[in-house]
Amino acid sequence: MKHEISTLMDGELFEDDADRLFDRINRSPGARMDWEIYHLIGDVLRQPEHIHCGLSAKVRERMHDEPTVLAPRSHAVKRKIHTIALSAAASLAAVGVVTWMSQQISFEAMPQVAMQQKALRQASMQIQPKSNEYLMAHQEFSPSTDMNGGASYIRMVSYNPEGK
Amino acid sequence: MADREVDQQLVERVQRGDKHAFDLLVSKYQRKLGRLISRFVRDPAEAEDVTQEAFIKAYRAVPGFRGESAFYTWLYRIGINTAKNHLLANKRRPPTSTPFDADESESFEEASLLREVNTPENELMSKQVVDVVQSSLQQLPEDLRSALTLREIEGLSYEEIASVMNCPIGTVRSRIFRAREAVAENLRPLLETSKGNRW
Repeated sequence: MKHEISTLMDGELFEDDADRLFDRINRSPGARMDWEIYHLIGDVLRQPEHIHCGLSAKVRERMHDEPTVLAPRSHAVKRKIHTIALSAAASLAAVGVVTWMSQQISFEAMPQVAMQQKALRQASMQIQPKSNEYLMAHQEFSPSTDMNGGASYIRMVSYNPEGK
Repeated sequence: MADREVDQQLVERVQRGDKHAFDLLVSKYQRKLGRLISRFVRDPAEAEDVTQEAFIKAYRAVPGFRGESAFYTWLYRIGINTAKNHLLANKRRPPTSTPFDADESESFEEASLLREVNTPENELMSKQVVDVVQSSLQQLPEDLRSALTLREIEGLSYEEIASVMNCPIGTVRSRIFRAREAVAENLRPLLETSKGNRW
């Protein structure tokens, strides 16, 4: 953990790793001491003439009497929610535009489709009288539904217990 | 993840009710803020009280911290205001009427007027700590000493140090850690003898 603390205080650890490490430091007084000593070393190297007795223990004592502060909701979280809401709104707008455009296209194409359907209906009415007889003759081979398709493979049997 | 983001992550933890996270911020900035306040409040005992007060005020104000500025810039303003209010409450003028910002604070030196004052006991302890750190640094192998110096004094990133030292980033990370740990090993016995005097 010491190695990670050293990397963390240099700002060279990834955010998720840092978050996990803070949890571990919280649980370990030794790790908190390492954090404190490494910072002391840095301060001594930078400004040896300005090193004075630390305050953290005294501040910590006073902090015991302080009620725990809680922000209603972290500003960073609010920012994230704001960003998510904006992207969701943008996505909805995009979907709306695409739907509207597709409807416009389908309305324009509708008369052409109607005309094609009318022509098909006329052609099928011409074919129908001829094909009806053929279809009636071969009805049992028609796979129009699953049951009908399978009906030709089913043998009907009966059982009479009195006729033994 | 830059240093500012590390602080931001700690602040967000405090905002979610994690007091230990604030403790880590205190450990990190106690000397920097104490140094700043001692430029206004010259009595060491008073300066210490004002620094504690500034941290407590910062803790109470953390829910309103929006992250628009760096945490230290925000803490710095609280420190300055606490020090000025302390002087006004004691009917004393702040040592300077010219405001200076957090970025300038490190180079702000008016030695005769703003010299930091320390108690004799703390003075001795401080001297011992500085001696141990500096002698430990001198005993380190050259590559470890260079890596730590480039990081702590020059403020270079691992990537930049790797480029300067012509080695992989992983090696830089390892060298800096080994250097810190070697110095820390020598410091721990000294710090453990000063009970209740956490650094």
